Amino acid sequence: MARDVPLAVLGALTNVVLVLALSPFFQGVLRKLTARIQSRQGPPLAQPYYDLLKLLGKEDLESGEVPLVQRFAAYLALGSILAVAGLVPLGFRAPLSGAGDVVVLIYLLMLSGVCTLVAGLASGSTFSLLGTSREMMTMIALEPVLAVAMVVGVLHARSFRLDAVLDGSVYAAAVPASGLAMLIVMLFAFQAFVGRVPFDLAEAETEIMEGPLVEYSGRKLALFKYAQMVKLVVHGALFVALFAPFGSRLPFPLGFALFWVKVLLLVVFVTLVAATHARYRIDQAIRYYAALLAVSFGALALASYGL
Amino acid sequence: MLEALCQKMFGRSLWVYHANSGGCNGCDIEVLNVLTPYYDAERFGIRLVGSPRHADVMLCQGPALRSTAQALRRAYEAMPAPKLVFAIGSCAGGGGIWHDAYPVLGGVEKVVPVHFYIPGCPPRPEAILWGVAVATGRVQKKTAPVVFKQVEYPIPTYHPNDLHAEGDLVIYERLEKV
Amino acid sequence: MSIASKWKETRIGLSAGRVTLPYPARPRPAPAGFRGRPIFDGAKCVGCGGCASNCPAREILVFDPCQEIRILKYLGRRCTYCGRCAEVCPEHAITMSQDYETATDRAGDLEQRLELFMSTCQRCGRCFEPKTPLDRLKLKGYRFDDLDHERWVFRSQAYLEHEPPVRDLEIELEE
Repeated sequence: MARDVPLAVLGALTNVVLVLALSPFFQGVLRKLTARIQSRQGPPLAQPYYDLLKLLGKEDLESGEVPLVQRFAAYLALGSILAVAGLVPLGFRAPLSGAGDVVVLIYLLMLSGVCTLVAGLASGSTFSLLGTSREMMTMIALEPVLAVAMVVGVLHARSFRLDAVLDGSVYAAAVPASGLAMLIVMLFAFQAFVGRVPFDLAEAETEIMEGPLVEYSGRKLALFKYAQMVKLVVHGALFVALFAPFGSRLPFPLGFALFWVKVLLLVVFVTLVAATHARYRIDQAIRYYAALLAVSFGALALASYGL
Repeated sequence: MLEALCQKMFGRSLWVYHANSGGCNGCDIEVLNVLTPYYDAERFGIRLVGSPRHADVMLCQGPALRSTAQALRRAYEAMPAPKLVFAIGSCAGGGGIWHDAYPVLGGVEKVVPVHFYIPGCPPRPEAILWGVAVATGRVQKKTAPVVFKQVEYPIPTYHPNDLHAEGDLVIYERLEKV
Repeated sequence: MSIASKWKETRIGLSAGRVTLPYPARPRPAPAGFRGRPIFDGAKCVGCGGCASNCPAREILVFDPCQEIRILKYLGRRCTYCGRCAEVCPEHAITMSQDYETATDRAGDLEQRLELFMSTCQRCGRCFEPKTPLDRLKLKGYRFDDLDHERWVFRSQAYLEHEPPVRDLEIELEE
């Protein structure tokens, strides 16, 4: 056990570095594909790297009501999502599976959502408060869906350990009815988790001047944008690990490559949905989430009966 | 070190904030045209952002009016350094046709420092793209002041004060200047 | 709002290919009849000042530093490319070119300045100069073109020495 600790830490660091290096690439794929669907040329694939590097060097105007809390929120945003990346299996087994379980994962995912709220409240401008209220409504309606997905996995795998749950455990029942129901629900809810177009009400929209991120500039903005990119990859990895783990037992290069191909397919799916839809209003979105929540509670009931 | 990296990446990723301080919206429509697939500005990394705190470049249109001058100045000061200002159209460049109307202070350079002018009324989307290309250094600018001179100073003028009579000769006193 | 319609939309968008024009890489000529930058031909110009009277943005300024020289200055920054100067010029000295690639980082790059030699009387060798200020006003049309401040000045006080020709508006930004 004492030998496993440095290996586990190394595994987690590898995960973090991998996610940091690859997530702007996936964002670039998303932008380029959106551009191609709109029949135009689009930015080069490395564009998000240029954006982040440029943002890191810009002057940081400490505007907003409470700059200390703004700084805290920016660091927490990237930090919490990287902590999730350290726990999620990215092509190899979950590295820190002894250090935490599913409850910690759900908590950390919720923390990364709370960071946006803290950022908006600390900014104190009208636009950011509006964005914060929308994000709060979204979070209240949507985080239970993710929690239910993982709890269904827990019920079937009969354990809270990460490497047991994040291995396609939702299908482990006799009749995978709850698993399939959760798959459909998560497919419909995925856009909302990563905050892309039909559901990007809270931030990154020109309607309310980018919502909670209004008063951010320079390095802190770079951290938030990075956190958004990493969220796409991490949620994708979580989805693949929970619902599509086929081929994860293959030896190292093949299993790893297959995993990232699956994440790429998920990003393509997100892009296709994002490029062909218009943004929903908050009341339409809440109604949508409420329907998803109802179905997911039904799946939870099925799972607790062993289905 | 980060600032040097930012300078290098600046030309490849410009985030643009669009500020219309009282124009007729003709240039607005041309700027929107630049963001459409036909003239696609996003292939240069240009993105329209909603907040001046996120932007690198402020696209100013319309002349600076007495009522909007303060708002324009505040939007300029809200942008983080390094920043550029493009004045698009003839109104932003010098006040346009309205330069001596009662609410107009002049071009936007009376209120914010302008780095690039893109003249036109409204400028074609290609002209705006050309202006962005000049600003990021992809092309060289093609304009220079033109002076046409038919005469060089000084010219001789025979003023009656400089002529005086000597006998039947008329002497021009400033002969050495001719 | 069905999935089939979204799929069809994606296919339509993708089948159009890339419609983006390769603009700064490849030049793109303006369509025929496009009014670009006006080019002033100093060889044909007679210095009548008709263009200056007609310009709606008051972009062309006329100034006589001495009796034989007339300076016509086209500023270029406020020009709306309307083409009235070209239409009115009796000598067809102004052509509206097809040039729209006029972006620059200094506003002074757009100016064109013509310094013309006005013919003088062949007998006495000088231009007729009006004697009284009122005559001067009548000749110039109640107008005084200030080349440094780049504007017309409609004030007859401009001919008085102790009045400045232009008074700028004070810009108050702090409230």
